[in-house]
Amino acid sequence: MLPRKPTNLIVLALCFCVVCTSLGPVVLAQKKKAPVEATPPPVNAEFKFGEVDLEILEQADLLDARFERDGLVLLDEATNAYLRRIGQSLVPRDLKLERVTWKFRALRDPQPNAFALPNGSIYVTTGLITLIDNESQLAAIIAHELTHVMRRHTYLSNRSNRKKFLTINVMQAVGAYAPLSVVGAVIMAVTTVAPFIMMATMYGYSRDLEREADLKGIDMMISAEYPPEEMVNVMKLLNKDIEGENIQLFYNDHPALDERIKYLSSYLGARANTVTPQMELNRERKLYFQKLEPVMRHNVQLAINVGRARSAVYLAQRLVDFHSDSENLFWLAESYRALGPRAPQLTEKELTNSGKKEAVKLREKRTAEEEERDLLATPAGKDNWQKHQQLAEELYQRALNDENPAPVAHRGLGMLYEKLGRGADAVVQYEKYLEQAPAATDRERIQRRITALKEKQK
Amino acid sequence: MSARSFVLKMFALVVLLTVSGLHQVDAQFLHPKIQSKETTIRRVVVLPAKVNVVRDSMKGPEGMAAESDELSTRVAAMVAEVLSKNHSITTVSPTEPGVDVDSQKYNVADFQTKFDELLPRIMKKRSEVKKGRFTMGDEVLNLNLEKGTDAIVFIRGAGKKLSGGKTAFNLLVGGVPAYLQLQIGIVDARNGEVLLYTDPDFKGDPTTAIDRLRKALSKGFKKLPEVKDQQASPPKH
Repeated sequence: MLPRKPTNLIVLALCFCVVCTSLGPVVLAQKKKAPVEATPPPVNAEFKFGEVDLEILEQADLLDARFERDGLVLLDEATNAYLRRIGQSLVPRDLKLERVTWKFRALRDPQPNAFALPNGSIYVTTGLITLIDNESQLAAIIAHELTHVMRRHTYLSNRSNRKKFLTINVMQAVGAYAPLSVVGAVIMAVTTVAPFIMMATMYGYSRDLEREADLKGIDMMISAEYPPEEMVNVMKLLNKDIEGENIQLFYNDHPALDERIKYLSSYLGARANTVTPQMELNRERKLYFQKLEPVMRHNVQLAINVGRARSAVYLAQRLVDFHSDSENLFWLAESYRALGPRAPQLTEKELTNSGKKEAVKLREKRTAEEEERDLLATPAGKDNWQKHQQLAEELYQRALNDENPAPVAHRGLGMLYEKLGRGADAVVQYEKYLEQAPAATDRERIQRRITALKEKQK
Repeated sequence: MSARSFVLKMFALVVLLTVSGLHQVDAQFLHPKIQSKETTIRRVVVLPAKVNVVRDSMKGPEGMAAESDELSTRVAAMVAEVLSKNHSITTVSPTEPGVDVDSQKYNVADFQTKFDELLPRIMKKRSEVKKGRFTMGDEVLNLNLEKGTDAIVFIRGAGKKLSGGKTAFNLLVGGVPAYLQLQIGIVDARNGEVLLYTDPDFKGDPTTAIDRLRKALSKGFKKLPEVKDQQASPPKH
């Protein structure tokens, strides 16, 4: 029976809209549970370029130039050549794609991430390169990104979003001119909620494309003799969430990592049974670390610079475990000094979604110095600081006792002593640093610190 | 309370709110060292601006990378022009001769990132620049700028240009007009303290409204004291 009162009709319309909005993402999630066995061909051969696509292509070319100009691209030919070799081994032979020029480059960013531009530029951040364990995992990431380019995902996603934005705007206009009546109220209610449904479909489409890239990536890995299960291992590494930044929002453009691990494992099935000697070689951790050690060090520095001290400690420890030379020991010491009064790992509570959201809010309110000051006022913060400064001091000393000591360890010790209020010791270390590294680029900074400390001592 | 006095009080409240609202829009916040003239800004390095504009059409936002690059260059040049004309502040190049170009490129990029990290906190409590709360640390000295450089200027911005269809749509239905909103921070080149923060803005097409941009910038730096002589300020710790 239909409700007769006008208010009931409005309430009914509102209920319908609310149900649609809240169920939209759920329905889309259900759709994803469809069988994962069949994947489309590697290249979207039917794709024809339109005017809108050419505009996107132009934007992509300009973005490439901007990354280079702004000093975001890692200017290390060895690393970029390594990425290029992996990328080219994954691209099917004799494949020629219209308006695609493959470029594989590392981006100087400590946050683990990778992305593809539709013009064929693939970027992997130094944060991701440092987090993973072997070449096969890097191949998994590149294979995923290659699929986005080969299946023309950016263009398809843009075309789809444009239609949906137009619908949203038309709906808004209809809603604004709805008559002042019961029908008008119903129209208004529907047009108010409809954009949220459209947004849900936009994100749903994006998640579908990500899923396709994951699955096709596995196929490409097998063809290039990379062990496909490493794709699952990459997801597991990303799921570690050292900094507590993987926040689940109402709308997400990527499937949740747990879900990705599940469907990838299911897709792998018997595909992971064949193991060739080349696959074994591509799984070698030592070889990978040997090739990328300088990038990993560079990334630890970037992580410290932007306050990702927990990641810095985790990654620098991996470097020391691999090769405990003076420079790696120095970077681990620097990471502990940067960690200061913070705990090296987040608690279970801090790793909940609400805990992460709370941390984001707090980060926006406090500067790093204020965070340290607040933590040092707590017993746990004091304990952590004492532990970390001791560890840092030990590591700096070990770095200086190495066969080829890195002079920067004196600078690190100096900064540590200065923070501990040991001014005279700090001056000694700073002076040793300047003596051993006369061409240091931070000479002026250290010189000023020495002068200030000496003035204080008078 | 009579009806007339109630109306008068409400009117006064509205006026007060409007005035304080306007103050918020044209806000500029100076470090106490600038207020007290303990620090004087004579020579600055304007780092490349990062201003992004998008074209809002009926089919959603579209990137404008070329226009954004052009606007970024224009804003940086205009900031230098305003500082020079209105405040007699000289602008110098961020790269000193003899410094390795690649490493300086990294250096500048890292400091730009560091400013991006600090910016949301400044924006959250802009008035606390007046208390000297924000700093980028003495690492700024690693930029190895030309001797006598007093400060570094960081510029960020976002803007929106409307397509013809979207302009008509906004007239009919309402919506956010075309605009440009900038965030500019001036940081002490010796110790990294944020000496000034200002966020000039204007309504209109950000890619073509050059006069409005100049006016907004002049207004944005209005409180910055003018330099009387051109001697370099002594180094401070």
